[in-house]
Amino acid sequence: MKPRYYLGIFLLIIPVQASLLSPLSLGDIKPDLVLALLFIIGLLSSPWEAALAGMALGLLQDVSAASLIGLTGFTRGLVGLGAGLLGRRMFDVTSPSTVLFLTAFSLAEGIFIAILLQVFYGSVPFWNLLFTRLLPQALYTGLLGYFLLQPLRNRKIVLALKRRDIQREL
Amino acid sequence: MAGFIRKNKRSVVILILFAFLFWLVTIQVKNGRFPFMEKPMLAVAGFFERIIAAPFRFLESVGTRYVYLVRTERDNERLKQELVRLQIENSATNEILSENERLRALLVFKKQNPPTAITVQIIAKGNAPASNTITINKGSDDGVEKDMAVVAEDGVVGRVQTVLPGTAKVILLTDPGSTLAVRVQRNREEGLLEGKLGLCALKYVSFYADIQVGDLLVTSGLDGLFPKGLPVATVLQVTKHEASAFQKVTARPIVSLSRLEEALVLRK
Repeated sequence: MKPRYYLGIFLLIIPVQASLLSPLSLGDIKPDLVLALLFIIGLLSSPWEAALAGMALGLLQDVSAASLIGLTGFTRGLVGLGAGLLGRRMFDVTSPSTVLFLTAFSLAEGIFIAILLQVFYGSVPFWNLLFTRLLPQALYTGLLGYFLLQPLRNRKIVLALKRRDIQREL
Repeated sequence: MAGFIRKNKRSVVILILFAFLFWLVTIQVKNGRFPFMEKPMLAVAGFFERIIAAPFRFLESVGTRYVYLVRTERDNERLKQELVRLQIENSATNEILSENERLRALLVFKKQNPPTAITVQIIAKGNAPASNTITINKGSDDGVEKDMAVVAEDGVVGRVQTVLPGTAKVILLTDPGSTLAVRVQRNREEGLLEGKLGLCALKYVSFYADIQVGDLLVTSGLDGLFPKGLPVATVLQVTKHEASAFQKVTARPIVSLSRLEEALVLRK
């Protein structure tokens, strides 16, 4: 993806996620726009580029949320890498079924963070978190991803965004 | 070895970056979080949040009204328009009533805690999956300082983490970096309440302490940040293991943090 797209994403994604998505929250559950966008970047670019984008976006989120710096960068890097590898193996990255993978990635990231917090601090109420927060949030993020994927179903947009090496493979 | 690295240069770089990020996290777990980038990020994000949120609310109201108008059939257009107008008025009145109720409750709370409270509005909610923070619309210009307690009419919300002149970042009770000295209201048992994403965990409670589901946890005042006796959370689950000297207690915050719109920052 072109650097100017990344610049736009990096500038806008945090305030958009923090302000615009707040009205969409159901209780504590809010769709994760950053993850959905990263997943799409992963599908459309190389695994390395998606991993770097994930690390950068995650670090930005960590710093803006006064969180443990590097934790979201680490997990988002893994998500980007996974989405990038997945994108290379999928016949049609714009298929609606890809949101199932997004849901799975979101859930896996949540579980991974819960495990890390258990290792670092202990006493994480894992099952409670899983059913009251992680699973609903993953489903909601999947739903958001479905709507984000809709414009990409126009082949021209996909081709415009795809890296040259992926295009060659297609 | 050198040949392998040259051949897999990109993989090695990514691996090193992952290792570096993980090392960064472990360092902070051991020595505390890095505060160096918080203020510049809060300044930039706060600026965008204010700019983006205002037109969004305007567009939301315009969009809703437009959709109503498009769907109106010719025969009953006037009636539907009237209905829409009444609905908007009704919704606005309800909103004012609801805001009025909340502000009244805050006012009562403010009267109970006379000289110390600053009323604030929440302008954005944190977005990192491993943290729970909010941004408020008042900062050092209004007397907000780091580590001040933030409360709502029902109970404790969190504490101020980073302060700028017109805005501040508040770390919520449920954030993994939040710790709060509490006691069980019923029997005065003490413990340390830590944030665990959407929930909290009461730590260092003796195996033999009498903790029951539904018990109210209140601030003990021992941390020097929060006044004594403010409601914090209710006990959700208690688990005892013979092998451990402590009980595993999960609690849910009293305040509905996701629906929070206004709060009070308590001056020290």
